Amino acid sequence: MSKESKEIDQYTASVLQNGISRRTFLTRAAVGSSGLAFASLGMGSASAAPIQVGTEYGEIGGATLGFLPKPKPIADKDIATTQTFDVVVVGAGASGVPAALSARESGASVACLQKQAIPVSQGNTGSGIDLKNSDKSAIESLVSRLMADNAHRSHPGLLRQWAYNSGEAVNWVIDRVKQGGGQIVDQGTKPQHGIRGIADEGDRLNFVTSFCGPKPYTTGDAIRALAKTAEKAGVKFFFNTPAQQLIQDESGKVIGVIAQTRDGKYHKYLAKKGVILSSGDYQNNKAMCDFFIPELKNFERKQMDRTGDGFAMAYWAGGVIEPVGHTKMLHDFDAGPASMCDMPFLAVNRKGERFVNEKVEMSLMNNYLKDEQNAGHYSQVFDSDYMTQAKDWPGHLYSPEELKVYMPEEPGEKKGVYPSLTNTYSANTLEELAVKLECDPKTFVANVNRYNELCKKGKDEDFGKPASKMVPVLKPPFYGIHRRMRVSTICSGILVNENHQVLDADGKEIPGLFIVGNLGAGFYGGVDYPLTVFGLSLGRCYTFGYLAGKYVAKL
Amino acid sequence: MGIQLNEQWNNTMKNLTIMLSLVLSIFAGSALAKDTVLLDQTHAAKGVKCASCHGKEDRQAVPMLKCVQCHNTEKLAAKTADVKPVNPHNNRHFATETDCAKCHHVHQKSENLCVSCHPRFDLVTP
Ligand SMILES: Cc1cc2nc3c(=O)[nH]c(=O)nc-3n(C[C@H](O)[C@H](O)[C@H](O)COP(=O)(O)OP(=O)(O)OC[C@H]3O[C@@H](n4cnc5c(N)ncnc54)[C@H](O)[C@@H]3O)c2cc1C
Ligand code: HEC
Ligand code: HEC
Ligand code: HEC
Ligand code: HEC
Repeated sequence: MSKESKEIDQYTASVLQNGISRRTFLTRAAVGSSGLAFASLGMGSASAAPIQVGTEYGEIGGATLGFLPKPKPIADKDIATTQTFDVVVVGAGASGVPAALSARESGASVACLQKQAIPVSQGNTGSGIDLKNSDKSAIESLVSRLMADNAHRSHPGLLRQWAYNSGEAVNWVIDRVKQGGGQIVDQGTKPQHGIRGIADEGDRLNFVTSFCGPKPYTTGDAIRALAKTAEKAGVKFFFNTPAQQLIQDESGKVIGVIAQTRDGKYHKYLAKKGVILSSGDYQNNKAMCDFFIPELKNFERKQMDRTGDGFAMAYWAGGVIEPVGHTKMLHDFDAGPASMCDMPFLAVNRKGERFVNEKVEMSLMNNYLKDEQNAGHYSQVFDSDYMTQAKDWPGHLYSPEELKVYMPEEPGEKKGVYPSLTNTYSANTLEELAVKLECDPKTFVANVNRYNELCKKGKDEDFGKPASKMVPVLKPPFYGIHRRMRVSTICSGILVNENHQVLDADGKEIPGLFIVGNLGAGFYGGVDYPLTVFGLSLGRCYTFGYLAGKYVAKL
Repeated sequence: MGIQLNEQWNNTMKNLTIMLSLVLSIFAGSALAKDTVLLDQTHAAKGVKCASCHGKEDRQAVPMLKCVQCHNTEKLAAKTADVKPVNPHNNRHFATETDCAKCHHVHQKSENLCVSCHPRFDLVTP
């Protein structure tokens, strides 16, 4: 692609102006007085500012960013081994393993460096569009809807790339995971409740929804099966080998990676065609979180070792980080049935107070629970009439018998759940339920009584929930699902183009450097990750890994 | 990243000197209940010297690699396979290679990595 001649799109232009790069300051100064000349930003303007001697950290507006340490020079004599491949993939997760296998299948020799002892990823559902059974107008309506979900802050080109390639990519992942002995099925369009009403009447919109499960089996297990397929195909994995820095030649081309093994030794992995970074998010890097999403302070994390290593590596190679206001994902599908998480039952916070119009979806609840005491905790509360009273609500109800697998107090083996993360209780009195939900009983009972009063009145004078959803909590046994919103992932990253190639602060491709997965920018942009398409995140990781692997192998 | 590791290392070295006196005082009061016994005592009792972990010359930080020179992770995982509620030495996140230091401390009270995310995994770590 000849980038020079192509006008830069709005999204890319905005990140170039507002993002964080080694020449943020220069860009700002240049753009500041002359107005916003989007197209001209793509022209070869000033080159990246040289790294100043003595500068050890990234900067923005003169402020030092301690989470972007400049790589210390590692002398050749300190390199224990050097190996050469066509493609080097950094990170064996949901996007990295597909990227490695896909590059290998396109004929490249591939190394995959992994920080942890095994391939690691999370989740169950990863989705794509069944292109053959969808109408183009419907697909475009979905792209438009996702733009809106993303507060119009994402790159439509990247959304389309997912939309028009994901069916093929997800089917490929399903097949290759099966070859490795993994548990994965295509659930089709059925689980996609969130897409109703997006396509025009009569327009078709269908999905390939891969599901790795049932729990406790996860995408992590499936990615390990996929890695088996990849290993058989000839991908070389290096575990317990975190990448530390990128190697660039004088022209700035990325030609390899330096990684460190547990014995402290450094190793060089040279890449003839390109390096694909797929090292995931930065949820475990406190300074970075405090900078990009300060409101995450009081929330617990769901992952480990996600310290944003790829951010520092790409930044020092000249890449641009999306500006402050990154997109977060905080969910709990495990305390109780996932299919009941958006049902507008009475909800109380950790103290036992009603705090919101319960029509707010679970995936957005974190915004009401940011303080230190609540720290993401709330409980859904209902009484024994719920099967009739909520039968037409969004989702799918579990009967009292079915609910038992989510109840830690119930004896017996629990199937289809993560036993240690279930958190559903029943009790014969409200006081007793309050204790099980870790709320103050007095506050809890007072709030339930107030809610029941409003239900009787048929008017939610406190939070404005529609009368049809005001069902009282009167008849024992009472039920409570205590959900904990924790950080699943952060999904904003480094600016890339539609080939997943990293762009520098001039909007020019950095030769040899590619990014897939949550480390890549441009796919989200809202305050929270949208749940319109269930499994969009993994679907995007699989798709972009699949595409980037092929693309880099063919360079 | 390189620099962060380096900083950790420097801090550890600083602490090494600061803490030395504390460590020795712990050794002095050795009549402690079993569950408060620290791993430095357990090791000393089995004849493991300071140098076996910290090295002979300038006292070095002790990475996981040191622990696994004496403790085979596969065997360890098999040994604790039936520990309830969960085997700490073989899990879905790190298989048998969870960094020992995420749970075991040698001169301080050990902790339980798992409980922060799995409130019912109430392991007691020696
Ligand atoms: C509990 C949970 C449930 C989820 N459920 C779903 C779901 O059902 N559907 C969905 O779409 N999304 C889900 N998600 C989100 C989804 O898991 C992530 O968006 C996705 O895994 C991101 O993939 P990735 O390839 O970017 O990063 P990851 O899958 O996190 O992989 C990154 C890998 O890079 C490695 N790494 C890090 N640093 C380095 C380094 N320096 N050198 C080498 N390797 C490194 C890490 O060890 C890791 O294995 C869930 C997330 C969580 C936590
Ligand atoms: C020089 C060999 C050696 C090294 C190095 C070593 N250990 Fe040990 N360790 C032993 C011996 C010997 C025992 C006692 C026998 C046993 O339980 O295996 C022991 C026992 C233990 C125990 C059991 C204590 C108990 O109360 O049952 C733990 C836990 C332990 N070691 C952790 C560690 C950790 C963590 C490290 C690294 C920081 C480490 N060890 C390094 C030799 C070693
Ligand atoms: C998740 C926390 C955790 C991690 C990580 C961990 N351990 Fe343990 N370890 C425990 C617990 C808990 C026990 C006690 C098990 C029991 O109840 O018997 C234990 C017991 C042991 C024992 C005594 C086993 C026995 O029964 O004789 C040894 C030795 C040991 N650990 C060494 C290690 C080493 C070496 C590592 C790193 C390779 C390590 N542990 C990592 C939590 C951990
Ligand atoms: C089983 C391995 C092992 C043995 C044996 C051991 N240490 Fe350590 N030491 C460690 C580890 C691991 C740390 C890091 C902090 C911790 O885990 O408590 C450490 C830390 C220290 C520190 C720094 C304290 C801190 O918290 O940073 C000092 C000082 C120290 N050791 C002294 C000693 C002395 C003196 C001995 C012999 C009496 C000894 N160690 C024996 C593993 C060991
Ligand atoms: C940072 C949070 C976090 C920590 C710490 C953590 N886990 Fe997990 N664990 C999870 C999440 C999230 C899941 C859900 C499934 C997945 O994503 O793999 C999970 C799932 C599991 C499961 C399967 C579900 C179940 O309930 O049986 C087991 C077993 C497990 N973890 C064991 C452990 C052990 C053992 C430790 C300590 C070594 C540990 N975990 C530490 C977050 C964590």
